[in-house]
Amino acid sequence: MNEFSSVAGARAVNRRNSIWRKVLRKFLADRTGVAGLAAVLVYFVAALGVWCGWWGTDWADLGGSKWEAVSAAHWFGTNIIGQDIFSRAIYATSTAFEVGVVVAVLATIIGGVLGAFAGFFAGSWIDELLLWAMNVLDAIPFYLFVAAVAYSLAGSPYAMHVAMITSFWIGTGRLVRGEVIKLRNMEYIEAAYAIGLSRFMIIFRHILPNTSHILLVQASIAFVSAIKAEVILSFLGIGIRDGMSWGLMIEESTKEVLAGFYNNFIAASLLMFGLVMAFNALSDALQDAMDPRKVA
Amino acid sequence: MRFLVQKYIAGLLLVAVIAFAAGCESDQSVHQVSAPPGLKTYRHAMDQAPTSLDPTQAANVYANHVVVNAYDTLYAYKYLARPYQLKPNLAADFPTVSADGLTYTIRIKPGVRFVDDPCFPDGRGRELLAEDFVYSIKRQFDPKNQPQGAWLWQGRIAGLDEWKAAGSDYDQPASGLRAIDRYTLEIRLTRPYPQLVDTFAQGYSAIVPREAAEKYGKALGVHPVGSGPFRLVSYDSSRVVMERNPYYRQEPVDLQAEGYDPVEQAYTGIEAIEGRSPPFLDRLEIDFITESSAAWTSFNKGNEVQFTTVPIEQIDRVLADKNPIRLRPEYAARFHMYSGLEAGFVFTAFNMDFPELGYSPDPERNRRNKALRCAIIKAYDWEARNQSWYFGLATYFPGIIVPVSPEYDPDLSRDSVTLDVAGARRLLRDNGWTPENLPTLVYGTTAGVTERLFFEQFRAWMRAIGFPHDKVVRKTYATFGDISRAWKRGELPLVAKGWGLDYPDAENTLQLFYGPNGSPGSNDANYRNPEYDRLYERSSVMLASPERTAIYRRMNQMVTDDCVAMTGLSRTRIYLWHKNVVAVPDREIVGGFFLKYVDVLPVAQTRPEG
Amino acid sequence: MQYVLRKMLTGIPLILGVTLVSFALMVYFGPDMTYQLLGKNPTAEQIIEVRHQLGYDQSFIQRYLAYLTELIRLDFGNSSSGEPVRSLLAKTIPVSLILILPGFLLGHILGVLLALAAAFWRGRWADKLIMAIAVIGMSVSFLIVIIAFQILLCSSDGLNLFPVRGWNVQSLPDYLSYIAVPTLATTFVALGYETRFYRSVFVEEMTRDYVRTARAFGLSSRRIFFRSIFKNCLIPIITRVMFSIPQVAIGGSLLIESYFGIPGIGKATYEAIITGDQPVLKAVVSLTAILFVFVMTLNDILYRAVDPRVSLK
Repeated sequence: MNEFSSVAGARAVNRRNSIWRKVLRKFLADRTGVAGLAAVLVYFVAALGVWCGWWGTDWADLGGSKWEAVSAAHWFGTNIIGQDIFSRAIYATSTAFEVGVVVAVLATIIGGVLGAFAGFFAGSWIDELLLWAMNVLDAIPFYLFVAAVAYSLAGSPYAMHVAMITSFWIGTGRLVRGEVIKLRNMEYIEAAYAIGLSRFMIIFRHILPNTSHILLVQASIAFVSAIKAEVILSFLGIGIRDGMSWGLMIEESTKEVLAGFYNNFIAASLLMFGLVMAFNALSDALQDAMDPRKVA
Repeated sequence: MRFLVQKYIAGLLLVAVIAFAAGCESDQSVHQVSAPPGLKTYRHAMDQAPTSLDPTQAANVYANHVVVNAYDTLYAYKYLARPYQLKPNLAADFPTVSADGLTYTIRIKPGVRFVDDPCFPDGRGRELLAEDFVYSIKRQFDPKNQPQGAWLWQGRIAGLDEWKAAGSDYDQPASGLRAIDRYTLEIRLTRPYPQLVDTFAQGYSAIVPREAAEKYGKALGVHPVGSGPFRLVSYDSSRVVMERNPYYRQEPVDLQAEGYDPVEQAYTGIEAIEGRSPPFLDRLEIDFITESSAAWTSFNKGNEVQFTTVPIEQIDRVLADKNPIRLRPEYAARFHMYSGLEAGFVFTAFNMDFPELGYSPDPERNRRNKALRCAIIKAYDWEARNQSWYFGLATYFPGIIVPVSPEYDPDLSRDSVTLDVAGARRLLRDNGWTPENLPTLVYGTTAGVTERLFFEQFRAWMRAIGFPHDKVVRKTYATFGDISRAWKRGELPLVAKGWGLDYPDAENTLQLFYGPNGSPGSNDANYRNPEYDRLYERSSVMLASPERTAIYRRMNQMVTDDCVAMTGLSRTRIYLWHKNVVAVPDREIVGGFFLKYVDVLPVAQTRPEG
Repeated sequence: MQYVLRKMLTGIPLILGVTLVSFALMVYFGPDMTYQLLGKNPTAEQIIEVRHQLGYDQSFIQRYLAYLTELIRLDFGNSSSGEPVRSLLAKTIPVSLILILPGFLLGHILGVLLALAAAFWRGRWADKLIMAIAVIGMSVSFLIVIIAFQILLCSSDGLNLFPVRGWNVQSLPDYLSYIAVPTLATTFVALGYETRFYRSVFVEEMTRDYVRTARAFGLSSRRIFFRSIFKNCLIPIITRVMFSIPQVAIGGSLLIESYFGIPGIGKATYEAIITGDQPVLKAVVSLTAILFVFVMTLNDILYRAVDPRVSLK
């Protein structure tokens, strides 16, 4: 980082590009990370197929009888009302991506922007206000907060998303704030001031891009957290409204496993475990690859 | 380095030990009550916790189970008689009724005492008097208590509504409800009310001493002071613990009078309680276990709860045969079983106030709407619902008179509960319904996973008769309270709900479609049929008779013919209990009244052979 | 002392914020209890009566101010079951604490130990193994862990070693048997997170310039580790542990409590949220906020104790 002593922003941009190349090289050398990425891509294709209507379209049909075993017609069997578990599990993959992406992207954007503002104006009332907001939201236990948001927005299909975003941006916000406090005292920022760039310009063009390693890692963490939280929230009855998700399948299965029917449980928990695991591996590798001390 | 790590481990272990010791200390500070050994204890289980033990809040079976054991009621249901029959409990006998059916005189048993409690002047429970009953019913008309039971007597017992309008002053009399002397009550009605005695067998009418209500105020809900067979030891959201009320009146059991049927019930060993005075337990614990899996595991362990409803997902593992219901040998060796239909039903009514499927000012549309409703009813697959959710053990029937009601007619045409997709499609086509002009069906449910699958099943049935996927929509509500609000405000076109009978008289379900009970009342369908209303009013003042039964059945047919509801289904409940427990547990109607008759044998005596 | 008081005073805006947000969410926009308190066949007039009794007919400001008054007096009245909120909290919080504490401590202690090992052998197989297990632990859903453990350890289909229900704690053996499975489950799930977090803290500290310098000067790694690294890592460790406290004390463990039927604060609060039991919610929210401020203050003081360079401004 301390090599960022070029005169103006232009050279910082160049520098950034070369750093990204190094990151990429380092990432590609990490076998676990690449395997994780590959697995995530496979999941993504599964989700893409659902969005394009290639498969998983019959998730709501009563195509069989109750609790059918695995067969050629029903690869994972059928559930209690005769729906095809394979279709539902695949359909749920797209839900997982929807929830994960929406929450991760929005939480990261909000956390990044607010964190950057707080850090850039550290010590001023803006910073105080944002810190206060973060503390306030942090002080409310997560599941209780999510439950409260979900109930107060009852009926809205996005209650769960809103609740997760509202709590997930804070971690990113704090990290970005800390990073920006370090960055803003760097010479190139002072130089940017000197040539008369506006503060917003500086924040968005010169500071935020330099926190991208934090944002990327935080987004991947938020993605995983969102998928995992969805399971618990579905159990508590405040998950997604319509459609299908792994959380709903696991919730369906809590009673079935005791009757000796494990298909829902296994299908949903393995698929979920695979994606979460792959994403964790991916985000670890990203973190390693982007550790500035190692890159520099 | 290795040395260092060891040192750290040692240090951290030390911290752990200290922390643990601290944990144990705080453990002692938690005052938990437990059964001292040697006391005869029975551990019952229910799938939900009551929210309050105040009789004014005794709205559900869970609260009732506890309330009728902590408090006394004038009447109760016979322990063993099926169909259910009333018997005097605190009352000395059945009421004397005047010739016009409007004045009831009830004598109560003398010498009954409340349990000892600091609310009484010297801490000792005083005698229960007729005046206490008057006070307790008045509490249901005092808005400060947010009472839920007033609807049973509103407009029926003279003077109570006026008493409430005048400010609910307990020192003021209510004209139709008074104690003539210490042990005699007189109740005057505004019109005949054949179900009055039934209402006096409910938790709502349990008898509370004024001292306790005044001393504890709202906290009466967690601090019951009654004269029932048990007194409260502790109560929280996970269980209630009660102990024998030492003052409970001595009344030896007469099995004959309780309706004992040696053929059907001898297997329970119930004859052992003949001639003895309940309660037989020193201690009664009721665990509230919401997750059926946890309840089932706990029950099977042998040393935890001694009673369970067989969770629906265990049916195939537990039953060898479904008709008649028979346990597999390994379960039969360890447990006793009782099965019976619930006193209630589930149904889905159309809200007739929605012009797109209910009453329309346009007679032509009215006719087409009726065809639409009838088609939806034909497409409703009760058999599939029964198979997937109730393992085929439930009973579905046409109309709204449930099988446990004495007025149920088993010979009614089953057309309205028979799946007929072709007929439904034809009906829609003949009446000009197309996928484009079909209205959107909004199906409201609470947020549970089962409710979601109910909906998905319903949507698939509707798609089978031509509804597009997105014209069958689910609206979820966080809590039962929230969905009730939607029902009461008439916001949902489809009302899928269950109704538990308050008393075994079909009037209790027929009132669900009585016009003046429309939203926010119990007629969520907002069905208004003048002929039906007239019949209801006529029958509601009649005592049970073949004539009344005929009227009931006519009303039932009207609901079916007008295609007002997809109805209905009564679930079969299967109860298991440990073999050392002597009981016939049934949570329907008899409900909590059975608990005082429960006896527990020493375990050694009942070990199954082999 | 003066510092502590000052710090506590700066907590007031925080308390106001937390109470305002939670009040708006849980109480004002939360579920309406009216329809749960109505009989089966209510009249319009009864609905108005109940709403009035519950205070739903007042404005937001009126209700929030009333809440603040209650907060100052620390008296929130009676819950919907009629029990005074104070006694409800006094009953449920200790249960949650003794339920969660063992798993909480175990998670952190084992996490620190495993992280130390991983950081010490960084890059070798021990590190890779520990981290792989941590990632697996992090990838399994808590719910699945609870269900699996309950079937394996508590049911007659499994080992049937521990009770499922009851929570009837009289003696130490009782206590141990009741908390065994919840503790296992919480530790299992927490361990992955704790280990990763602490490892990153240790690794970060180990790669600092001063460590390299010290090494270059020939100080033994044991000495460096003990004198500097661990000490410097204490701050993040303390912060993490401290800030988990309000979550643990108030949030309890909702899933554990509902699955094992333990009458703790997590379950009580959750039930209050879904039914809209205002007095309970108000009390829990206030308590959380106060505890949070308290923890922040305590955290600052501990910083100072650990690292004298941190001045208490």
